[in-house]
Amino acid sequence: MARFHSLEVTDIRRDTRDAVVVTLRPDAPDADAFSFIQGQYLTFRRDFDGEELRRSYSICAGLDEGCLKVGIKRVDGGAFSTWANEELKVGDRLDAMTPMGRFHTELQPAAAKGYLGFAGGSGITPVLSIIKTVLAREPDSTFTLIYANRQTSSIMFREELEDLKNQHLGRLSLIHILETETQEIDLFTGRIDAEKMDLLFKLWIDAEEVDTAFICGPEPMMLTIAESLRKHGLTDEQIRFELFASSQPGRAKTKAASRAAAAAAGTCELSVTLDGTTRNFQMQKDGMSVLEAAVANALDAPYACKAGVCSTCRARVLEGEVEMEVNHALEDYEVRAGYVLSCQCIPVSDKVVISYDE
Amino acid sequence: MTSEANLPEDDAMTLSDYLERGGKLTSPENVPPRYRGELLRLMSSFVDSELAGSAGFADAINWAPGLKERIAACRITLEKADHAERVLDLMGDFGTDKALYNKAHSWSARQERDAQVDPKRQGGDMRLSVFHYPLQGWIDAVVMNFLMGLATVHQLQEQVRTSYQPLSEEFRAILPKERRHMELGLEGLAHVSQAPASRNEAIGSIAYWMPKVAQTFGPAQSARFDRLKKMGLRHTDNETLRGAWTADADACLAKLRLV
Repeated sequence: MARFHSLEVTDIRRDTRDAVVVTLRPDAPDADAFSFIQGQYLTFRRDFDGEELRRSYSICAGLDEGCLKVGIKRVDGGAFSTWANEELKVGDRLDAMTPMGRFHTELQPAAAKGYLGFAGGSGITPVLSIIKTVLAREPDSTFTLIYANRQTSSIMFREELEDLKNQHLGRLSLIHILETETQEIDLFTGRIDAEKMDLLFKLWIDAEEVDTAFICGPEPMMLTIAESLRKHGLTDEQIRFELFASSQPGRAKTKAASRAAAAAAGTCELSVTLDGTTRNFQMQKDGMSVLEAAVANALDAPYACKAGVCSTCRARVLEGEVEMEVNHALEDYEVRAGYVLSCQCIPVSDKVVISYDE
Repeated sequence: MTSEANLPEDDAMTLSDYLERGGKLTSPENVPPRYRGELLRLMSSFVDSELAGSAGFADAINWAPGLKERIAACRITLEKADHAERVLDLMGDFGTDKALYNKAHSWSARQERDAQVDPKRQGGDMRLSVFHYPLQGWIDAVVMNFLMGLATVHQLQEQVRTSYQPLSEEFRAILPKERRHMELGLEGLAHVSQAPASRNEAIGSIAYWMPKVAQTFGPAQSARFDRLKKMGLRHTDNETLRGAWTADADACLAKLRLV
């Protein structure tokens, strides 16, 4: 299971007005654990006023750069990205989990493949890692990047991409689509929609030459592009997605309630939220788990192993105190944030409020 | 990827809209809670069934009448365990403790041959109910492997479209191997069908396994299916899949005059 390790910030470079590229170095014993595959991401954690935030950023370095780099674009109201852009400095240390993610295809040095990439805004980061790696490790493959941004000044890695294009002449084609800036070719102005995709296929991209397409950007853009790729003959197998934004809410502040305490005999008022609906009922404090009580009350709570191993039944305690008998699946920070494995969760207080929806 | 994004109005889309329109989720970081629960449950059921299937089929290695059959049985036993591990690795991304998971249940445990196993799960063990019944000898193992293998092919053909991309990729890699297991069963069955004695035994086994495998497709009306469909985790309903499998199995068995 992935654990957090401390990384040293060795360089911070401003890339655009609101984006920085941060170079990180693991301590020597962790070096192997941080070897990565192109397109993977790092998950960071940091405490903001007592609240732990976790944020994931794709690695934008290629495999042959010999370092870890992430691009962090500042987002209005985004605590982590604002801090990284304004306060993070060389020499600081950042907690990160080892690289994760499956946004890649296997490298085949002898193959001559045609890759097509679509990136929206900071969705470029994993795609850049893939581009750099493919150009270096698959000398006969080519890459076409369609890169959507609002305007020239907000294009991340603009110069680096130009350099790559010049360095690998004829192997990297670069198409910038700018939403609010007029370009020489009308097709390259505006947003990527179905019509623009049709035109791109008609004028610039030969679908038959594409082996794999990578898409990273906002959800609507990914759907539009994927739909068009299928329409032009690509199969699901050939299309690889990486979600750009997460709809998952940030972790909140509720204190963990898993302190050991003997469960007194009696009953507990249990309130369970599942799929947006809250049900209240009483359960005996006789060693029965919250999950068993929920299922006994005809709630369709998720679970699988019932042994504290698989994490299917994860829920969050919003109020009250519980004791978790066994935990092999939750990280310390999850326990601190109030998460429990409901199959192992015995009520201690007389009232417990628990939610599967967080 | 960035998990801290603030999108303008026209880029905003709820995750449920995204999934209903065929969007894919790509990592534990962007999976919402209910989806997470359902996804882990699906994966768990697959892993437990493969582990139980492999453990049960191990006996068939020593029942095999010839070397070719012995190798086929070894291969099926090995590859089903491998398929379990591939999906268990994905569960590991969500926090599942792989080593403990493997030890959580006795995968070779079976109930009595004439037991009536509730198609719903048995305790924490998520294997499909068919894997609670014991095999009895080579011909029985060949029949079960063919019928359940064919069901697995139908089920995986649907599951490769699942909205959790890493799982869809694993299923895509697993599907041809499971198909090969089914074909090995069919080859075995063709051999068995040639002699009258073994043929009669096979017909008896088919009658035993057919309804049990049919149950693995789940109930005809399923609120869970509707929910999973909304999440893009399922696409074709249980009854349609069961119908396609039945027709396919009947055609194969008719060709071998085993009906």
